[in-house]
Amino acid sequence: MVKVLPYGPLAVLVEFDTLAEVMNASDAWREAALPGVVDIVTAARTVLVVHDGTFDSGHLVVPKSTVVHVPTSETVVIDVVYDGADLGHVAEACGLRARDVLELHSGAQYTVAFCGFMPGFAYLVGLPPVLQLPRRSTPRTRVQQGSVAIAAEFTGVYPRDSPGGWHLLGRTDAVLWDDSCTPPALLPPGTRVRFRPT
Amino acid sequence: MISVESWGIAGSVVDQGRSGLGWLGQSRGGAVDVVSLSLANRLVGNPESSAGIETSGGSVLRLGEPTMIAIAGAVADLSVSNGPAVGWGSPVALPPGAQLRVGRLLDGARLYIAVRGGVSRYEDRLRIGADPATAAATQAAPRAALSTRVRVWPGPRSEWFHPDEWDALLAGRFEVTSTSRVGVRLGGIPLRRRHDRQLPSEGLIEGAIQVPPDGQPIIMLADHPTTGGYPVIAVIDHADLQHAAQAAQGTMLSFAAAR
Repeated sequence: MVKVLPYGPLAVLVEFDTLAEVMNASDAWREAALPGVVDIVTAARTVLVVHDGTFDSGHLVVPKSTVVHVPTSETVVIDVVYDGADLGHVAEACGLRARDVLELHSGAQYTVAFCGFMPGFAYLVGLPPVLQLPRRSTPRTRVQQGSVAIAAEFTGVYPRDSPGGWHLLGRTDAVLWDDSCTPPALLPPGTRVRFRPT
Repeated sequence: MISVESWGIAGSVVDQGRSGLGWLGQSRGGAVDVVSLSLANRLVGNPESSAGIETSGGSVLRLGEPTMIAIAGAVADLSVSNGPAVGWGSPVALPPGAQLRVGRLLDGARLYIAVRGGVSRYEDRLRIGADPATAAATQAAPRAALSTRVRVWPGPRSEWFHPDEWDALLAGRFEVTSTSRVGVRLGGIPLRRRHDRQLPSEGLIEGAIQVPPDGQPIIMLADHPTTGGYPVIAVIDHADLQHAAQAAQGTMLSFAAAR
């Protein structure tokens, strides 16, 4: 069920039951370039539509779930050195060999569901279920920029050094955030992504 | 050129920030109190988008060339050596060698210094941009008093709280326990939730009032995270954001229903 929740005169929060519905609606609304809308902040179960006060939220038509929005953008390929500190632990927890983890992670096709946590940090869905583990019980105080990591149903890349609770599988030299680019994020919502072992 | 002899408390070079990047995980950034930076810029004849200096006191600047500046935002002890006195809300031309000291803030949490031409930072020096070729203000700006009563709209999760808590929010007084570029932490009678369900992180905007499990509200400011997992009980009306941005530690804030 879709719920429209108040968020003051310049925003409205729309809540869905599933992440798939969230992605579908936010892709459609972003593509529609709705007049007056200045930002569409996608999250796990909600889409926050930020506007300039001239927008009427009655114009937010929820796409039928049977019509799945397929992003038209090219697939971004990220080169990864799979030598992360948690590779062994992840393999053990999933009952696999380290090589299987590498093959499963790099063999899947991902889509950016949403960004958050820090500029350019993309939450990618498509992680094989066998690799889905809860976050680390104790977060690290410092995770290195470019770390490729997994947690729950997501995989992602840390755009810069930060604390973090995800399991580290490897690292990449890809630049996730560049202020001089439009958009500045390498992986905006809707982008398709693959990881390539190097 | 301006030499920054001391950045002081939370001193930095800021502009209006960039809106519209929440979807990529980036909040607006820029001046926490945009209204005051814009005023200071207009006073020296700059476009409102020019970069200026934001400080919470203790900053010391030494001018290397003739420079017109204006102060807006918080009221502070200001002193100038080797130059004319500087007051709030009036453009002043300072000669090379003048030293401007921003002392303790007396009212408000953030003071803005605009420099005619705007500034760009490298290390501890500020380069002054091209003269805007528009006239500076000829009169002092009147100073509107900061309000400690801000108007709020119901937030998306106001129903996560006991029915009385909306009234408690409007009736209560909340002390600012700390303020940063990220947000204002308030202390008061805790706002009680109806349940302790977990909320998946959801989008935030400036002025959103989140309530963590301890019941003490947090107001989101310019550098807020773009998503958060605490329920948002209320959202500050945009026109009153400046008052939240300028609420210094120890200020007692209260809320009124916007309409």
